Amino acid sequence: MNAVPSAGPSRRNFLSVAGIGALALVSGGALAGCGQRTTSVASNASEALLPTHMPLQAAAADIPGTAQGVPSAFYKYPAPFRSVQAAPLKGGKITAITNLFGTAPNARADNPAWQAIEARLGGQVEITSVSSDDYATKFNTIIAGGELPDLMLNDGAAVPNIVEFLQAKCADLTPLLGGDKIKDYPNLAAIPEVFWKQTVQAGKLYSLPIPRNLTGGSGFVNQTLLESVGIKSTEDIKDKDDFYRVAKELTNPSKNQWALGSTKFGLTMLHHMFRTPNVWKNDGGKLTRAFETDEYLAAIEFAAKLYKDGLYVPGSEGWTKSQMVNSFISGKVAMIYDGLPAYIGPTGYGRSIPAANKANKAVPFIPVGHDGGKAQTWLDNVTFGTVMLKKADEAKLKEVLAVANFLAAPFGSEEYLLLNYGAEGADYTLDANGNPVVTERALLDNAVPWKYLAAPQQVVYDPSNKDIVDVMHNAYSKLIPLGVEDPCGTLFSPTNASKGAKLGQPVSDAATAVIAGRGTMDALKSAVADWKKNGGDTIRSEYESALAK
Amino acid sequence: MANPSSTLASGLGRLKAKDTRPIWMEKPKPAVQVSKAIALVIICFLALYPLLAVLATSLSSQSEIANNNGLVLFPKEPTFAAYQTIFAGGVVTDALIRSLLITTVGTALSVVVTVAMAYGLTRRDLVGGRFFLMTALFTMLFSPGIIPSFLMVKELGLLDSYAALVLPTLMSAFNLVVVRSFFMNLPQELFEAAKIDGAGDFRILVQMVLPLSRGVLAVVGLFYAVGYWNAFFNAMLYLNDDKWPLSMILRQYVLLGQPMGDSAVAEIAVPSQAIQMAVVVISLIPIVIVFPFLQRYFTKGVLTGAIKG
Repeated sequence: MNAVPSAGPSRRNFLSVAGIGALALVSGGALAGCGQRTTSVASNASEALLPTHMPLQAAAADIPGTAQGVPSAFYKYPAPFRSVQAAPLKGGKITAITNLFGTAPNARADNPAWQAIEARLGGQVEITSVSSDDYATKFNTIIAGGELPDLMLNDGAAVPNIVEFLQAKCADLTPLLGGDKIKDYPNLAAIPEVFWKQTVQAGKLYSLPIPRNLTGGSGFVNQTLLESVGIKSTEDIKDKDDFYRVAKELTNPSKNQWALGSTKFGLTMLHHMFRTPNVWKNDGGKLTRAFETDEYLAAIEFAAKLYKDGLYVPGSEGWTKSQMVNSFISGKVAMIYDGLPAYIGPTGYGRSIPAANKANKAVPFIPVGHDGGKAQTWLDNVTFGTVMLKKADEAKLKEVLAVANFLAAPFGSEEYLLLNYGAEGADYTLDANGNPVVTERALLDNAVPWKYLAAPQQVVYDPSNKDIVDVMHNAYSKLIPLGVEDPCGTLFSPTNASKGAKLGQPVSDAATAVIAGRGTMDALKSAVADWKKNGGDTIRSEYESALAK
Repeated sequence: MANPSSTLASGLGRLKAKDTRPIWMEKPKPAVQVSKAIALVIICFLALYPLLAVLATSLSSQSEIANNNGLVLFPKEPTFAAYQTIFAGGVVTDALIRSLLITTVGTALSVVVTVAMAYGLTRRDLVGGRFFLMTALFTMLFSPGIIPSFLMVKELGLLDSYAALVLPTLMSAFNLVVVRSFFMNLPQELFEAAKIDGAGDFRILVQMVLPLSRGVLAVVGLFYAVGYWNAFFNAMLYLNDDKWPLSMILRQYVLLGQPMGDSAVAEIAVPSQAIQMAVVVISLIPIVIVFPFLQRYFTKGVLTGAIKG
């Protein structure tokens, strides 16, 4: 049986397309390029021997996580413990390629964090890193060059024919990590099964997960503006009519204020209200694409009504992310769609919005069902990506896995502090509560993309403000139980990989036209019919056969 | 007393001369002058407006940027925070130095190679000259793809070296044609005289051709310099991030909207849009400094090389 990692939304998507709703639904996350062969077999993950989950006896969280996947939350950094005893490299060197967010880090010679990490590793890691937008070009060029690095990020888009690539060039990790074998790598063993499912392909464990907190959320709302119209929380909104009423009250063009406005209309919150499936709907083995459902059409129709009645900022569908963020910060728009991880951290909305404009406070949008029932969110942020290992002899693979085990050190460990905050003294100091306080140089010392080579399960942590931790944890607690997986997230369809994005584009365009008042619902339905005829049905049957295996 | 008839004749002559003067040589009417001035001011404003916006935004705080929807023209409380952040890190400073070095060395080498080949190809007695010219021109029509170029750079052992940014683009066929055309139009008699006096080709090139070709050399040098300064793709493909020139840093910051360093951990909330604009300003400075000194050669040099060819 065959399987693949999810190509679903990840941090990459959040950074590049804030209002991802319509696009994710239409492209299915398959941002595959063209020109690859389409002879690959459809594949499924379900029969792979997944690693046994062995939680670490780590520090107790202030708010514990749940088995459903709600992350643990911490108000302060626990007393650090050492999670890796021996240096994984014995003076050797391994190579890697991954994404880089932000600019280049300080060079190794002038980077105490980098030096301290390699001292603990016992050798060097030569990392080739480029931004997510350049990754496909760089990685494919390196593949063509024939000399693959030891660790390679699979971002779900760079290699369209991923199954063949994995089988030809990457190591099958099942014999080294499957079942109880993973106990040799305790930090990797502490990653729950839900994340490992994303790393299976062609029935084998081919990569390591870089976990995220399962859901990308439903967007954000300006709490201050919401309260000004008498609503304390979006959970108090009763149904779609009430949502419309609130949106209407939030809109006042003469005061340069609108209810809605996001790149590509920020449809995700509406889809969640209307319970649109997460890319596909599985009905006993029969698949339906989200845009074939009545829920999707109803959400688009509702968005069109909101747009027609002037509740969106005019032209906001074409906003860049900066424009959207600026409009949200200034209070021009009350509700936006951005990924939930954008809330926390020094530049997250939780801190940046009150810092820029004291009058405003942002909170995650918690949707209600359009009919007053429960909403349905999407588990669309399970992993950032996965990391493949080049084929090598067992000793080399074990060495590389030991490095990955170090990089996956969990929150609360000494290694986590080192990897995320740098060298103590030069890059951070611990305050009276044991929280790391970074120095000015930490910004660029910590830019080495270790966390995109291997990572632990994430937690909610922000020592600056207890309220932000509570709000964020509350959002995960509400959104994750409402979440549905993409039933095809761990399946592979060669047709979807080769032309899924191209096939879905006309549907996306037709939906945009409907909302903007340029198109009709009939035209949208006709675009969906064309999608089926031109390859959508083939994608469906490939997924269904993979699902049936 | 003047002869009335001759006065009349000279007056008529002046009138005739005035009548036959082309209209564009007439002094424009005040209304036309005013409208021209207005048009010029509008054009200047259109050209300067983006630059002013970039400069002003780079000097603004995040809240001011947000409250002005990302475009500030007159910052109320100007701050150099973005510039301080950029230069404190050292990454932009290092990249700036790298870019200056790559541009200087690359331009010098490119001009030398182009001039040498162009001069050689003007010599009618050069064996295989036509073949070499055609080979160079061929690259104008068919450029190598990304992967063949990468493989060539890799085979030459140039990966992750600055030479990878210079050698693959050392000579542009277009610039070769411009310089060769210019050389071809220099008076051949000068060369013949020099040869009779015993000068060799090297001496003719250095002491006669080059001093006569300052204009075209300035133009070609500027083309190469701007090319090296702006080149990011080869840097992305061939270099690791510790060797990136300013163009790649600029790309990371501005086009891809990436934050400064690791924002997930950093405690210093930086106004990212101000930083983007500050990097644009920094990258503009060298070209803005150099361009006014070279632009007078620009039109002349290109036209000379192209039209007379």
